[in-house]
Amino acid sequence: MATFKPGLVHTPVTPFKRDQSIDFDAYGKLIEFHLRNGAEALALPMPPGEDISLTDGELRKLLEFALNQVKGRVPVLAHVNDAGTDIAVARVRHAEQAGAAAIVSHPPYFWHPKASMVVEHIVRVGAATRLPFFICSPPVEDVGTPLTTEIVLQALERLDNLAGVVDASMDWVFMVEALSLGRKVRADFQLLPGTDYMVSAGVIGGSGAFSPLSGVAPKRVREVYDLCAKQQFTQARKAQEDLAALHHLVKTAGFAGLKGALRAMGRDCGEPRPPARALGEIEYGKLAQEIAAMDFLRAEPRGW
Amino acid sequence: MSITLKGVMQAPVTPLKDDFSLDADGFAKMVDFHVRHGAPAIAWPHHKAESLNLTIAERKLGAEVAVKTVAGRVPVSIFVGTLSEEDSLDIARHAAKIGADMILAISPYCRRPSQEEIFDSIVRIGTTTDLPILTYNSPWRNGEGVEFTGELTRRLIERLPNYIGMKDASFHSEKFMEISRVALRMRPGFAIIMGVEHLLASFPLGACGSFSSSGAIAPNLCNKFYAALVANDWESARECQYKISRLWRLFKEQYPSSLKGAMIMMGRPVGPTRSPLPTATKERIDFLRQQLEELNILQTEPHGW
Repeated sequence: MATFKPGLVHTPVTPFKRDQSIDFDAYGKLIEFHLRNGAEALALPMPPGEDISLTDGELRKLLEFALNQVKGRVPVLAHVNDAGTDIAVARVRHAEQAGAAAIVSHPPYFWHPKASMVVEHIVRVGAATRLPFFICSPPVEDVGTPLTTEIVLQALERLDNLAGVVDASMDWVFMVEALSLGRKVRADFQLLPGTDYMVSAGVIGGSGAFSPLSGVAPKRVREVYDLCAKQQFTQARKAQEDLAALHHLVKTAGFAGLKGALRAMGRDCGEPRPPARALGEIEYGKLAQEIAAMDFLRAEPRGW
Repeated sequence: MSITLKGVMQAPVTPLKDDFSLDADGFAKMVDFHVRHGAPAIAWPHHKAESLNLTIAERKLGAEVAVKTVAGRVPVSIFVGTLSEEDSLDIARHAAKIGADMILAISPYCRRPSQEEIFDSIVRIGTTTDLPILTYNSPWRNGEGVEFTGELTRRLIERLPNYIGMKDASFHSEKFMEISRVALRMRPGFAIIMGVEHLLASFPLGACGSFSSSGAIAPNLCNKFYAALVANDWESARECQYKISRLWRLFKEQYPSSLKGAMIMMGRPVGPTRSPLPTATKERIDFLRQQLEELNILQTEPHGW
């Protein structure tokens, strides 16, 4: 099987209406925005797309809608995970039947099983499909189960379709170990940064990228991505610092920060679903002011 | 003296005699070994040197041996981290008196300090001498981490003219860049030095070097790694980083006992490790020998002093 390399993967948010239902009109516009602004693939709904706030039925419908909207122009990677292994397995089968190009998954949500149980979960979810399968390493500050090098290596021994790790841990020790030892097992094993910190992942041998900030600053994301692809890591420093500043600003505003930044750029995707808090008008005003003060964002597209 | 910090800087272990007393002669040989094998700076006593298992008198004696042995060939940094801030202040003043070039500081251990407490502690230590000061960012230590955020770093740079750099043990893209974005803009020569040789991920973003874990075993590999980074030869740098990461996986178990065991095997008798840390067993040393041979370290790195 030829190696599936996703390239620059945009990870759209999930827009909601005021009544908290999914705003499919806005979602269609958002997908078109991503496709016009450099997405080589889409992955949805990733954690910034509020996957855990969607019902099983909504997750399936969202994926089907996206596949129908994209119509094969780029690969669509389905992010599928849950607390229960069987629930995740059923949704993986649906994603493959619906036409997803690959599956992206996490260690199980909520529980803190032993490493051997995490391996079992990952292997069962990955074995439910013939599609290329990627595992995400969660941010280190998350309360869930971390993905360790040992878990990756054990899963790699048992899953022929395990193509790589999408790393949101940003932990260099894990990243270097998983990549260098993973490639001893499978030469084309990939590590993709799951955040917008592409330089560190690229220089240690990673490739591709999942970009949560692509909805806000797609040009800057593309610039860093291209420089990394050309191995020009030192030259990418300034643009990477810009993305780090934007990441920090959005994160400081809380979970609603990303949607706040999108609104400030003229792409209103509503507020996050409860229990995540929406930004108050004062908080939003402060965020919008700081977005306006970021010089590099003047070159980014406004509106849809 | 104006200090330029760059490269893979060596942090020697502390040689002990069989009765666990400090081996000052062995330590002088250790320091000299590092300088002769290209260390651009000497930093002592880091955790690898069993710092917290040495008495304050031993730490002062070791600092004197280090400064005397280096004799101005490269800069010498003295680590002042202790359980009690009074001891840190005492060691810092002693370092200035004996002619060390800089100190490395962390706020006292085993608390869960707020950002305000870390700021106050570092200001007290940083103003007790005129020596340049580095701080030690260690955010991950099971609830006892001491984290220097970007904001704290900004305040310390504003407050301390002698604040010249940071040892960063976050090994984390976001945390590193919060510090580097602020510090390198405010003080362009600010030295961000990685805690062990996880330098590849940070070098293109402004890190200047690392304090070494594996240099006591593989100084040639360390020097080759840094030369590849400076040349932007990423492929060679990656090869070195992968090898160094495998070494770190070997040594981080029972650190620094495994490292000391491997050094003894390489002909540099640095003795046992003080309790409560274990001393490497014969079985462990045999395992390390096999691993180092497989990594081509035994065949390519210096043996003896």
